[in-house]
Amino acid sequence: MNLIAAILLSVIGFTQAFLDPARLLQPPTDAWPTYNGDYSGRRYSTLTKLNQANVDSLGLAWVFRLPADRAAQGGGGNSAQVIKGTPIEINGVIYVTTPDHVWAVDAHSGREVWRYIWPSKGGWHIGNRGAAAWRDSLYFETPDCNLVALNMVDGKERWHSSICDLEQFYYASAAPIVVKEHVITGVSGDDLDIPGYIESHDARTGKLEWRWYAHPDPGTPEAKTWPSVEAMMHGGGMTWVPSTYDAELNLLYFGTGNPQPVIAGQGREGSNLYTECIIALNPDTGKLKWYFQPSPHDTHDWDAVQTPVLFDGEINGQARKLLAQASRNGWFFVLDRVTGQRLVSSEFVRTNWALGVDAKGQPIPNPAKQPKSDGVLVTPNQSGAVNWPSPSFDPDTGLFYANAARAWSVYYLYDDSDKPEGWGGNDRGGYSEAMLQAIDYKTGKIRWSHKWPGNGGLPSAGLLSTAGKLLFAGDPNSNFVALDPANGTPLWHAGLHANVTNAPITYELDGTQYVTVGAGDTLYAFAGH
Amino acid sequence: MILQLLAGAAMLAQPGPYQRQKVDPEAARRGRAIYSQYCINCHGALAKGTDSAPDLIRSPLVLRDRLGDEIGPALKRLPGHDSALTARQVIDITHFLKEQIEATAKDRSPVQSPNVLTGDIEAGRAYFNGAGRCSDCHSTTGDLAGIGRRYSDPADLEQRFLFPRRSKPVQVKVTPYKGQTISGALVRIDDFEVSLRDSEGQFHSFRRTAGVEIELDDPLSKHHELLDFYTDPDIHNVVRYLESLK
Repeated sequence: MNLIAAILLSVIGFTQAFLDPARLLQPPTDAWPTYNGDYSGRRYSTLTKLNQANVDSLGLAWVFRLPADRAAQGGGGNSAQVIKGTPIEINGVIYVTTPDHVWAVDAHSGREVWRYIWPSKGGWHIGNRGAAAWRDSLYFETPDCNLVALNMVDGKERWHSSICDLEQFYYASAAPIVVKEHVITGVSGDDLDIPGYIESHDARTGKLEWRWYAHPDPGTPEAKTWPSVEAMMHGGGMTWVPSTYDAELNLLYFGTGNPQPVIAGQGREGSNLYTECIIALNPDTGKLKWYFQPSPHDTHDWDAVQTPVLFDGEINGQARKLLAQASRNGWFFVLDRVTGQRLVSSEFVRTNWALGVDAKGQPIPNPAKQPKSDGVLVTPNQSGAVNWPSPSFDPDTGLFYANAARAWSVYYLYDDSDKPEGWGGNDRGGYSEAMLQAIDYKTGKIRWSHKWPGNGGLPSAGLLSTAGKLLFAGDPNSNFVALDPANGTPLWHAGLHANVTNAPITYELDGTQYVTVGAGDTLYAFAGH
Repeated sequence: MILQLLAGAAMLAQPGPYQRQKVDPEAARRGRAIYSQYCINCHGALAKGTDSAPDLIRSPLVLRDRLGDEIGPALKRLPGHDSALTARQVIDITHFLKEQIEATAKDRSPVQSPNVLTGDIEAGRAYFNGAGRCSDCHSTTGDLAGIGRRYSDPADLEQRFLFPRRSKPVQVKVTPYKGQTISGALVRIDDFEVSLRDSEGQFHSFRRTAGVEIELDDPLSKHHELLDFYTDPDIHNVVRYLESLK
């Protein structure tokens, strides 16, 4: 290689706005380069600079407040920005999103580097889970059904590619995940009985490579879990939350959302594959490897899209490659991630809707607790025992953490016709107790449970655990808290202006470990001093 | 005539490439009548399709249509649509179909309140005074007298019975380390602080350091515990009974 090329290469290598994709295969330390920090979904950092001995020194480094938007287009939004996504941090710059917006923020000072606004044509502006990076491109999804690629250096648009159809009441909120040179996108939309799916787009050009629908092909044995092809092709299964990925097995893992019509299930008898399933897919071809269904024939809107966390562990003395999910319906599952075989099924909060589990380890829905015209009392409620906020798995404690609630509501059926469409019902009202559950993955038993005092609403905050023996969480009382992951004792906290609304990240910059979290419209960066 | 129709179309059109067609209720009413005459036998009373013809609510063609620009050509092209509808009639049908679609997309709200009065009054009375032990704290001639009159919608009564709102605050007693106990109405509590107002209205606030003791008394705790105890028939019986107390 000649001298000029070598110099050019070294410039690129040290360029601020560039992510070497090899970084995505390593645990996050000096970067948080993808939604979950790395592909495993553990949200566990090996950094130990911050630890139990010095966590008292953790103090505010800076605050970045997102400016209020002009009125969001397309309905369902308001002018205040809310950070519901996980920012990514690469080479000292943080990239944070809200619907239609991306900001690049200097991780040293909290000052804006650049801002990008997508001109929206509509779609529900319910939230945006974050951006993905690959080399010098930044990708994010828009409510009006586009995957947008920006130049990471200056935030200028490179291209955009359609990922769904606004006309059919789809919209997009998920964070993309980049695997090799595939940008994996998910879609949303619960209003009008449409099929859910996941797509892969070429990272350089945005061209569609494959689409996997959350329903079987007509005529296959799995299609018999629907009463008709028409019901199956309008059956939902949205892909709300980003995937995890095992590079050795070359498998992408994600959950699918609720079947549709959402509440009125009488027109879709059967277990409704592949709705509310954990899916293993080949990212090069989009071919299904295996599936497991946390909620057959659900009628409560309990998307099984919670992060399928990947870790290696031991079950009954045998070393195995594992996948664990604490699902919205209140059940915790540990599967063999090679085959999909169920190893553990247990409740991580007490529920009242299942009649035990079937031979595959999948809960059996109690017909008496499916929605009725005069109302049935169900726990969890529609928001779930957990929702989209991220869990964490700590390999040091062997505990899977879920920021959960035990919540009740009454489910009503509004449409009892033979062919309901849309929702056809809803839940109403309720009571809720919030708690951080620490689950022993080998048995599914609760090792410890920290009840958040006071306001019992389902926490909107995700979790982060570290090798410094710290578990970071937001409580439902506007606090950002560090707990002892072994027993749930609070060790440190900061009182914020609002509840944490995203999941915290951590990274080391110039010898300092930062922990950065979003609450409402504000990004707070804490540093060990 | 054509110009007038087009002008009419322009008046009804909504600007912007994505925006959904704004439903004209008058046109939708006319469209429903046209639909009932020409379309209903095959496409069904609620446009959800039959064995003979597809669902028009979940149809991508209908969803894409704006004022007949897709439906008009489809009616000419697709078999089984022999009747010659005028352009005006086609537009009216689109308003009817868009109205049906909008109603479906909004049906997570009820059109009318659910009928929750399916229980048995006597069984409800027996539960109230027996297994439910409601009469331990409540009286049908006292605090619950005439409760059936207080809610115009029995579903509201059902909600308030299951998930009562706080009329009395949680009581709290805080004893600082080697200090005197202060009690009152809880203002706020988390893992780190607790605050209250005492009987004279004074505000007190404490850090929850080691040795600070806290006792909470929630008047609603019994209701919360009962959520694990009721059966759905119990609930419907009690609601029916309470609703009868006029």
